[in-house]
Amino acid sequence: MIKRVEINYRGIFQKTLAKRIGGDIVVIASRMGKVGFSNGRYSDSPERNGIPCKYFAFVSPDLQEEELEAECGAKLDIDEADVSVVLDDTMVKGVEPWGWHGIRPINEKIIPNGCLLIVSRKDVGDLTKFVARRDFTYRVTTLEGDANLAGLWVFKDDLTHERVLGAISAVDPDVISIDAVADYLVAKTGEERRALAAREAHDAVLRRMEPVTPNDGIVWPHKAPELPKWHAFSIGAAVPAVERGFEMGPGGQSRNASFRRGTTKSLRPVVRFDLCIGCTLCWLDCPDECFDPIDGKLFDVSYDYCVGCGKCAVVCPVPECIVMVDELRFEDNSSPWEHYRRDPAGYIAWAEEKKGRIRVSYPHVTGTGRDVREAVGPPAKLGE
Amino acid sequence: MAQPLPFIDYERIRTVHDTPLEEMYTSGHRTCQGCESAMVMRHFSKAAGPRTIATGSTGCMYVANTSYMTTPWIIPWMHTQLGAGGSSAVGTAAGIRALQRKGKIPDEKINVIAFCGDLGGGDMGLSGISGALQSDLDLLVILYDNESAANTDIQATGMTTYGAQTTFTPPGKKHRIMQRRWKKNVAPMLAVGHPNCRYVATASATYPPLDFHNKVRKALAIGGPTFIHTFDPCPKGWDFHPQYSREIGELGIKSGIFPLYEIIDGKVEYTYDARGKQRTPVREYLMKQGRFAHLADEDVEYIQAHVDTMWDEWELPGVAPFKGELQLAKA
Amino acid sequence: MAVANDPRVWDRDELLTGCQAVSQAVRLADVDVVAAYPIRPYTEVMDGISKIIADGQLDAEYIIADSEHSQFEIVKHASSVGARAFAGSSGTGWMYGFEALVVAATDRLPVLFLVGNRALDDPGAFGVEHNDAMAIRDMGWLLCWTSTAQEALEHILIGYRIAEDSRVMMPMAVAMDGAFLTHSQHMVKMPSQEAVNRFLPPYNLGARRLHPDNPISIAPQANEDWVLEIRRQNWEAARSARQVIKDAYTEWNAVFGSDRYASPYFDEFMTDDADTVLIGLGTVSMPARTAVRRLREKGHKVGYVNLRWFRPFPTEELRACLGRFKAVGVIDRDFAHGSPDDGGIVLHEVRSTLYPLRERPVVTNFICGLGGRDISIDDCLRMFDITMAARDGKHTPEVVSWLGLRE
Repeated sequence: MIKRVEINYRGIFQKTLAKRIGGDIVVIASRMGKVGFSNGRYSDSPERNGIPCKYFAFVSPDLQEEELEAECGAKLDIDEADVSVVLDDTMVKGVEPWGWHGIRPINEKIIPNGCLLIVSRKDVGDLTKFVARRDFTYRVTTLEGDANLAGLWVFKDDLTHERVLGAISAVDPDVISIDAVADYLVAKTGEERRALAAREAHDAVLRRMEPVTPNDGIVWPHKAPELPKWHAFSIGAAVPAVERGFEMGPGGQSRNASFRRGTTKSLRPVVRFDLCIGCTLCWLDCPDECFDPIDGKLFDVSYDYCVGCGKCAVVCPVPECIVMVDELRFEDNSSPWEHYRRDPAGYIAWAEEKKGRIRVSYPHVTGTGRDVREAVGPPAKLGE
Repeated sequence: MAQPLPFIDYERIRTVHDTPLEEMYTSGHRTCQGCESAMVMRHFSKAAGPRTIATGSTGCMYVANTSYMTTPWIIPWMHTQLGAGGSSAVGTAAGIRALQRKGKIPDEKINVIAFCGDLGGGDMGLSGISGALQSDLDLLVILYDNESAANTDIQATGMTTYGAQTTFTPPGKKHRIMQRRWKKNVAPMLAVGHPNCRYVATASATYPPLDFHNKVRKALAIGGPTFIHTFDPCPKGWDFHPQYSREIGELGIKSGIFPLYEIIDGKVEYTYDARGKQRTPVREYLMKQGRFAHLADEDVEYIQAHVDTMWDEWELPGVAPFKGELQLAKA
Repeated sequence: MAVANDPRVWDRDELLTGCQAVSQAVRLADVDVVAAYPIRPYTEVMDGISKIIADGQLDAEYIIADSEHSQFEIVKHASSVGARAFAGSSGTGWMYGFEALVVAATDRLPVLFLVGNRALDDPGAFGVEHNDAMAIRDMGWLLCWTSTAQEALEHILIGYRIAEDSRVMMPMAVAMDGAFLTHSQHMVKMPSQEAVNRFLPPYNLGARRLHPDNPISIAPQANEDWVLEIRRQNWEAARSARQVIKDAYTEWNAVFGSDRYASPYFDEFMTDDADTVLIGLGTVSMPARTAVRRLREKGHKVGYVNLRWFRPFPTEELRACLGRFKAVGVIDRDFAHGSPDDGGIVLHEVRSTLYPLRERPVVTNFICGLGGRDISIDDCLRMFDITMAARDGKHTPEVVSWLGLRE
């Protein structure tokens, strides 16, 4: 028997977390007398903030270590997953880790009766509505919580690591058992609370587990790109530049069509075009060139390419004009300015509904916390 | 005697509304959220315009941009080796100049811009940049400095600040500070060493707005070999949330840690003069980055003292570490 | 061999060293960019070019580089914008810039380099050894050895023509024995500019030329999805080069009215009825041919194969040639420590070439002449002795003999 676990995570933000979880799976399995090994997906490296990445752990109770390695090791990607952990729920919208990879569904590797384990505060239905339709039944559950985002040097020790281990033991006890998880955590840290957190998570995810049937999800709209044969592209690794093209209006700037890396974002900027004073700083400061000048004052957002860094929201001088909002609240990447142009009042109402009243932000050192506060009043239209 | 800047077609931009709208480096690159080095790419190419050839040496702005056989470049661009920033500029400019002079291609002004990171520029490629700045070719070398070998997942380089954590300089049980080197002072080193180089500058891509853009234009307009060193706060390597990239850059400048100036025909002109004025305490800059989370008070004080020396005691404050008046050596 | 003296094709005869002959070839090729850096024994190539430029005989950018790495990068990038570029080096200098050499090949840029073969450091010897040029043999380069100044001059021109062919597009190293060829002076027939212009078309990178009128990105980073295919492209070019080489010599012979290069890849000397031959690269051909003559006077059926092209290796032709003999002695002016049977580089290539034959000649190997040590006529006679003994089944089991060694 081979058990394959893949951990989907946001690059850099969750790198330490994913590696600890993957590594601990192997250590715990080893303590249980099994063999195992773990590794990252090499092509994800070097990781960049937000890029969807994968970490893997493989465990077997009965194979020799080298047999396990022969089946699962010395490979770039996983073939199939018994457990697919998703450490940031916004990744259910699809993941594109690099160019020529295409936007792939989060549940691409899950096997029949495998389990998709998602760290989220949302209901399962709000998540599975984004995944690809598969032609078999598998399971999904959520581990309640916010995505643990940190940085390379300062880790966010909020028990997510321990809870995910507990959750994995619940969704597939043949990987690791909850008792082994709890024993290990106490042995390693001396802290009972960590074992307790794992046990609580174990019980909680079982309660929330649901089947995903062939009727759930969507027909996946993105085809995997077909790579050209050796004789069908230029020698000397020469590729055409992005064609020069600019005109005012939505989508007016030409962009790299081979890598629309909008799946890097967990949050997207929502713009109140009516409040905008046309200072241009959002457009000027965007490292990903996502703003399209419309008319000399306003800028549209290309959500296909926006990576959700939040610089625009911080640099905008008008309160509430640009607010970063959970990516899962949006069904598509259609042009917000087009929406506003068609129906300004409707757009404003829509935008405010998406924004809600809670404003989430992060401290300077990401791993030191998460800032949650109430929005200060619904902003009136300027000039009223 | 300083020459007035030749007025070609490289006018300064006065306000944000004069910024060219068209991108020459566009969306679809694999840089980190909030990447300031991507801002450098975006704005140098925007400033230079379409009649430009860029070469980029191995580093973040290579691997993260040309994301696995795709490209975000609209201007022509070529990869070059880690230590070949300067030599790639020389080869490109020399090739163009020869072909134009010999009538093999039409004669016109083509900008040649080579960029390299702090590892490729400040360490490995230093001799190549030196050769480039000694030449009489029109070229610009941009050293984008995120204070680490970022593409290899953050190691210390010669331009990493004192005390910073990297994978080569982790704080440990015995040694809290493994990164004991002070940042190499590359821009002035190059200015002093290459008297025929007419333009050396430091810049940040976002603060003050448009400053870097205009510095690129100035460099391209002035003729001959030129050099700009940019200060690129790096959310990944410095461990801060991407939305604060601009703020961190501003703090680095206002605390005096990163001096902002131009050296034009030998004359130093401060973009931000941190002498005398109330500099932001370095602590405010340091505490906002996870790479300094392990620093003790004495480390912060050491850094503050060093920065104070740079601005209060150097003969060329913030620029060159020469102190006091010239003195004859005693017999 | 007679060479046509048509004054439209050949200019004056001149006394030139091997290096200077190469300088003249660079002038004739109308090179656009040259990058120079000094290292013995090739430096004089660059001295010659600088004088040619200073006297207005060639219009080219001449860059004095800060290191070999920069030197090689400069010409690689000049080539990328469509400038015909030239550089050179020797020994440890070649190694210093090795990274750039590898990349020039994978970027498919047809820069020409003169390698003045020199021993690798340490101990910093200046004399001839072939390991420097040999080091790029796997990387997708064209590589040939020359054994006279005339040949060196001509192979810069022939080299550009082959390298710049759209089916090839590979950098090329023209190798020349340090001191013996780089520094000795011989009468060289200078081709006329007009004839060279007929032979050598302009350098045309086509859609890969880096210029604002042709916006491309050259060498974006790529991983496992692409490398296999890119390498396959380069492999194909090296294979295609074999025919392009043959065509280039046919054209050369036609333009210059010579048939010196009847066989492009190697020359055969007195091999028609030979049963034992030696094969080698570079100036060792001189004592070897003299030894052949002397042994022939005594009735021995011996010959010499002067191998010119090393990459692409002339597998079919050399297999057919060497397969005719009973014994082949391979001369290696290089080393390959710890390799199979501890033989030299050329030995392995020859053995590999012969392997598919049902009836294979016996092969011996001689490591000699390293670091500038002479290879004398007597050394070559000794090599023939050993090889003929091997032919007769009397040779000792070791394949490799070190000649001229103090032991």
